[in-house]
Amino acid sequence: MTGSYFEDVPVDDVQETPGLTVTSAHVAIYLGLTRELDVDGATVPDLLPLCFTTGLGWRVPKPPLVVLAFMGLDWQVLRSVRVGDTVMSRSRIVTKRPMRDAGVVVEERELVDQRGEVVQRGRFTYLVAKRTKETTA
Amino acid sequence: MRVLSYGSVTAPARRYFDDIQVGEEYESPGRTVTEADIVIFAGLSGDYNVLHTDAEFMKQSIFGERIAHGLLGLAIQAGLFTRATQAYATLAFVGLRWKFKGPIKIGDTIRLRATVIGKKETSKPDRGLVTVQRSVLNQRGEIVQEGETDLMVERRPRP
Repeated sequence: MTGSYFEDVPVDDVQETPGLTVTSAHVAIYLGLTRELDVDGATVPDLLPLCFTTGLGWRVPKPPLVVLAFMGLDWQVLRSVRVGDTVMSRSRIVTKRPMRDAGVVVEERELVDQRGEVVQRGRFTYLVAKRTKETTA
Repeated sequence: MRVLSYGSVTAPARRYFDDIQVGEEYESPGRTVTEADIVIFAGLSGDYNVLHTDAEFMKQSIFGERIAHGLLGLAIQAGLFTRATQAYATLAFVGLRWKFKGPIKIGDTIRLRATVIGKKETSKPDRGLVTVQRSVLNQRGEIVQEGETDLMVERRPRP
């Protein structure tokens, strides 16, 4: 499988994604899926922008991390996102720690709106595959 | 225009910071996570990682099949919370510390068990911070996700 293995992961490189305009359609689909109660029609449920960050990362044309498992998340909501706002994700691998068969990678992410303000931010922890003989060949 | 009114639709009163007690426990109904949930979440989030979308590839993985996005489980538990207890007078979701402990597979039924573990006054007199410990369990009682969430909740307005 093509992708970025633990050995390839660059620490401290900043990655910026394209933007995504948050629409009421996104909110409607999200509320239907989760049945989180809608409080006010123009406010975007706080977890929805968080849900966009991973998909935004996939839009950067480079081999994706070969993630074996998503281990943990620390996340802060700094300000609310409104329908019509455009968010992008900025991320940076801050640490990588090898284990026997894989490695733990910690990534810092920020979600930034069209005014350049950080609206949400936090840390994702992943278990990432190491290269094997098969994948190195 | 005729206006219809349904008494049963009236939302129950929201609970203020003052009403919420440390130690309160809630348990939600169950929710079966389906293939459709995962497909919709992939489309909504744009996360088409093979973990969630390639059944053949996942047969060879440690999970043996596609698994739900971790963030889908997190989003579903947020919905389950609103079905587990009367709504809080929440002003803002402040943050979370979360662990993904095990996979949620297609057909698994998850439910939320939540406990209020902390209340903190803030510099603003009209609100306080409520910390809720949450565990997401599957049909076998295994914890698949757990963590703490911080909510900013309105105080009861002073007359």
